[in-house]
Amino acid sequence: MEVRNIAPLRLHLLFAGLGITFLLIFSWVLFHEEAAEWRTTQARFRQLEGDVKNPHQLAEAASVGGLRQVWLPDLGRIDRCETCHLGIDDPAFAGAPAPFATHPGTWLATHPTGRFGCTPCHDGQGQATDYAAAAHRPQPFVTRPMRPLETIEANCGTCHRALDPTDAPRLAEGRRLIAESGCFGCHEIPGFEGMTFRGPALDSVGYKVRPAWLASWLKDPKSYLAQSKMGNFRLSPDEIGSLQGFLLSQRMQVPLDSTGVDWKNADTANGRALFGELRCVSCHAVNGRGGTMGPELTNIGDKVRRDWLFSYLKDPHRVQADTPMLQYRLNDAQWRDLTAFLLEQYSSADTGAEPPPVTYQDARLLAAGRAVFERRGCSSCHRLAAIKETGRIGPSLAGIADRDPDELPYGGSTVRHTTDNYIFLKVLLPDTLGQPSGMPTFGFSPADAARITLALASIRKSDLPASYVVGRPALVPYRPGGKFGELVMRYRCLSCHTVGGFGGDLSTVPLDRIGSQLQRDYLANYLLNPGAVRVSVEARMPVFHLSPDEAKTIADYVSMVFLDDRFDRYDTKFTSAEARRGQELYGQLGCQACHQLGTKGGYVGPELSTTGARLKPGWIAAWLSTPQTYKPGTLQPDYGLSGADARALTAYLTSLGRSDAAKARGGKTP
Amino acid sequence: MTGRAWHASAVTVLALMTSAACRSGPRPQPGDPMLDAIRAEEREGKLTYVESQGRRLFVHYCATCHGDDARGDGQNASNLNPPPPDMTVSRMSQDPALTRRVIAEGSAAVGRSPLSPPWGRSLSQQQIDYLVAYCQSLGRETP
Ligand code: HEC
Repeated sequence: MEVRNIAPLRLHLLFAGLGITFLLIFSWVLFHEEAAEWRTTQARFRQLEGDVKNPHQLAEAASVGGLRQVWLPDLGRIDRCETCHLGIDDPAFAGAPAPFATHPGTWLATHPTGRFGCTPCHDGQGQATDYAAAAHRPQPFVTRPMRPLETIEANCGTCHRALDPTDAPRLAEGRRLIAESGCFGCHEIPGFEGMTFRGPALDSVGYKVRPAWLASWLKDPKSYLAQSKMGNFRLSPDEIGSLQGFLLSQRMQVPLDSTGVDWKNADTANGRALFGELRCVSCHAVNGRGGTMGPELTNIGDKVRRDWLFSYLKDPHRVQADTPMLQYRLNDAQWRDLTAFLLEQYSSADTGAEPPPVTYQDARLLAAGRAVFERRGCSSCHRLAAIKETGRIGPSLAGIADRDPDELPYGGSTVRHTTDNYIFLKVLLPDTLGQPSGMPTFGFSPADAARITLALASIRKSDLPASYVVGRPALVPYRPGGKFGELVMRYRCLSCHTVGGFGGDLSTVPLDRIGSQLQRDYLANYLLNPGAVRVSVEARMPVFHLSPDEAKTIADYVSMVFLDDRFDRYDTKFTSAEARRGQELYGQLGCQACHQLGTKGGYVGPELSTTGARLKPGWIAAWLSTPQTYKPGTLQPDYGLSGADARALTAYLTSLGRSDAAKARGGKTP
Repeated sequence: MTGRAWHASAVTVLALMTSAACRSGPRPQPGDPMLDAIRAEEREGKLTYVESQGRRLFVHYCATCHGDDARGDGQNASNLNPPPPDMTVSRMSQDPALTRRVIAEGSAAVGRSPLSPPWGRSLSQQQIDYLVAYCQSLGRETP
């Protein structure tokens, strides 16, 4: 082995050179650190602080220099933003220039930086200490630069899981759109567990619809119904033909017998009157006006067959057990009149005579139709006994917001690669992102697609500690038994009212405490003939045509079960001085601005001249004292009434309408 | 939205997506169609984010009296004496402190009728801030 001999002088030179290089690097690092952006920023801040605060305040609490950070081990984050944002939680710096200004609004009161840091809401690189590296603006290789204010609600949604989070309207709207459009029929979406979206069952659709309508619906549902919740599957004419044949062959359940119905003598004027009286428009829109719980009826005559409609109206639950539609109590002649009225009034002019049902024999066609049905996942939304449930056909959206934006397909478009942009384009135009997509086009406006994007972008894969999650309360389904339970099912009370948060929210009145709120006799009469309690409300309680016996059962049950002891324990012996004082307060507080009394007053809230016969005193007092606890978002303001004032108003209101009601009743109450 | 209208807007977004690339010389700026969609909607309403939050609350809580656009023409306005003023011309809405007082404590608190209710206990301070911002945007000249 040969040993190299290095001259001692050369060795010394090498060491000297290296030494100098290290010294240079070291001093450069020192200098660089000393001249760091955040130090100059802090120097500027100290100047500003001198201007904003007097010496006394400064002596008390002058800012401390140096790196400042919030360590959030639970969230796995270190945020150093406050190194520069030094005035962020000090109101003295309201209106100061960036980056020293106080945080706007009252957000930090509910989200103190010590617990939340900055990046959970704003994104960006929390550990960085200069402007560029913190990713205030999009940066190469930074997957989550700071969110602009316009889209920040996506981050609210990561912790706030309620469907309707307060103060995040775009997020709330996005979640509502998802719930309404039933995206979870095909995708697993965290936060929407347990929700089902049901299009109508198709077991007997061959008896229900006209063939021409079905073909045009399959081609583009929006051509029949602009608000259709079903997307456009972009089917080819061949697919439409075979699917149409397959569907029209589904004839499991024969409609109720209507052979004896005398259609010639149908009285459409009576049908029209019934349509108004049953308050169909509370749930069904016609010509763009009315409720949205049921399908719009404007062109129903183009769609359904007469026998099917008659049968459906008479017993909707027979056709679909889980429909929100209620079953009215009418006779066959009335059903006939209503059917005839709907078909005549609500169809486009060119609807021809009803074609006879076709029987499809071509086995190849039927098999092809069935294949389309299975491939496109129709059974995600529609029950069809002939097809076994296939489960969710689309990919799960759990953790979608944490997918690497650079690995998502953008189909050659030049958008910035962000999960937001990917989700947005997919929701808006499913077919534009590279591969052809099985997802239907829903026809969302760009603004709605953006709101849906916000809602989806809040779904992180993170294992957020439970202490940060503001949840959606778990709902316990409410299923009463017995005779009362049967009535609740038949009249579908829970399509509009809630019990324990379970049910529909069309009505403004949850039923949980209704027995302690309403006088029993008033309720019994109201069920038989529901008038409008508030003048300005469009969705009205339907006239069910209850029998007096049914009304009695319901009134007795709720006034014994749906109670709140706090209201019932209220001392109801009022003095006349209290009532007089209440009347005075009524004028002073301006109650008449919203409530009518006799012929005077506004019509925002309920008319009050029969309050004494309608409401129980304990409830009136409780409601007046803290209305928002009983109904968040109510228009009734909280006046901060003292107990005595609430009592005085209650005394006054209870005195209204008592004697009239007693007279009017005259023993007729069921 | 009708089928045609959404289709048109979808095409606009697509055009935006591609035009961002073709527009300027050497380094094309990648587009942000999702943000553009939100901003386009905001521009249409001519309100900032904070003001539009206020507008949403206004429509829910105040519009029955004040009207959807605060012109004093809500469906309940005819029942009120004095009626709610047209806030797009009223001088008073330009004073944020006074406006806040009316909203939080009611019009009676500034020596007027009790007809505009006090919302200070029903709404959060944040929500009242939003409402004040919206009320102030009302007098703004629109270009
Ligand atoms: C019950 C009807 C009613 C409701 C609800 C109502 N207001 Fe009013 N408001 C009025 C009336 C009436 C006036 C005029 C009062 C007067 O001049 O004595 C008024 C005046 C005002 C004024 C003063 C305007 C000016 O330029 O003089 C403001 C600001 C105001 N309301 C804000 C609100 C806000 C914000 C809400 C909702 C949170 C609201 N109001 C809800 C009836 C109402």
